[in-house]
Amino acid sequence: MTLSFFDQFMSPTYLGIPLIAVALTLPWILFPTPSARWLNNRLITLQGWFINRFTQQLLLPLNLGGHKWAALLTSLMLFLITLNMLGLLPYTFTPTTQLSLNMGLAVPLWLATVIIGMRNQPTAALGHLLPEGTPVPLIPVLIIIETISLFIRPALGVRLTANLTAGHQLIATAAFVLLPMMPTVAILTSIVLFLLTLLEIAVAMIQAYVFVLLLSLYLQENV
Amino acid sequence: MPQLNPAPWFAILVFSWLVFLTVIPPKVLGHTFTNEPTSQSTEKAKPEPWNWPWH
Repeated sequence: MTLSFFDQFMSPTYLGIPLIAVALTLPWILFPTPSARWLNNRLITLQGWFINRFTQQLLLPLNLGGHKWAALLTSLMLFLITLNMLGLLPYTFTPTTQLSLNMGLAVPLWLATVIIGMRNQPTAALGHLLPEGTPVPLIPVLIIIETISLFIRPALGVRLTANLTAGHQLIATAAFVLLPMMPTVAILTSIVLFLLTLLEIAVAMIQAYVFVLLLSLYLQENV
Repeated sequence: MPQLNPAPWFAILVFSWLVFLTVIPPKVLGHTFTNEPTSQSTEKAKPEPWNWPWH
């Protein structure tokens, strides 16, 4: 095999169509638009239950001003979790492994929280740059540190990329490097592969949640 | 590493936000929810019936 380790993350093109576009467009047929009837089918009921519970839990610590973000945050959660989970299917391309996509989501959303804070309550937003009760000699250093930590917040996109690529890389290594070895190793590897798959399913869900949760925490400081 | 390649970053940005903002929110907002059922009071209601005073 001449493929290098990371070639599975190359954004492929087929018949001139970038497959990232297909991978971003098609998964949403798994989410049927609910009708206006009270009684829907089971899939829609399950999805509605998830949307309802998730939104409630996410917005619980937020002020009322932050509740305007409910639809956006829940949509983001569905977006990420769907792409993450479908990307675990063999022979599929995962858009959320691409740094450009994750940063494209993280940077504007982070910037929105900062701008909202600076416009609506600049004093409180700037106040987050210095924790209460800091000893006087530490104040200049701490403000610098907190300012840096404010500006590296979009790194939540990096987190998503890193977690997803690491997981895919582990699975690929187990499957393509260890599995073709001698039978004893292969049996062990199969077990490892199975466990890794379970882990990656968990990671796919958790990382989508962490992305949205962090965003809601950034929003919480600014509303 | 290809996943870190920013190459068509603007196309990816525009397209992902297009999908994210046009396809998913209508589906999320389309869901309707029933109210939480309120538990019935255990106290028996004491209706106070009255008659017309001229009867």
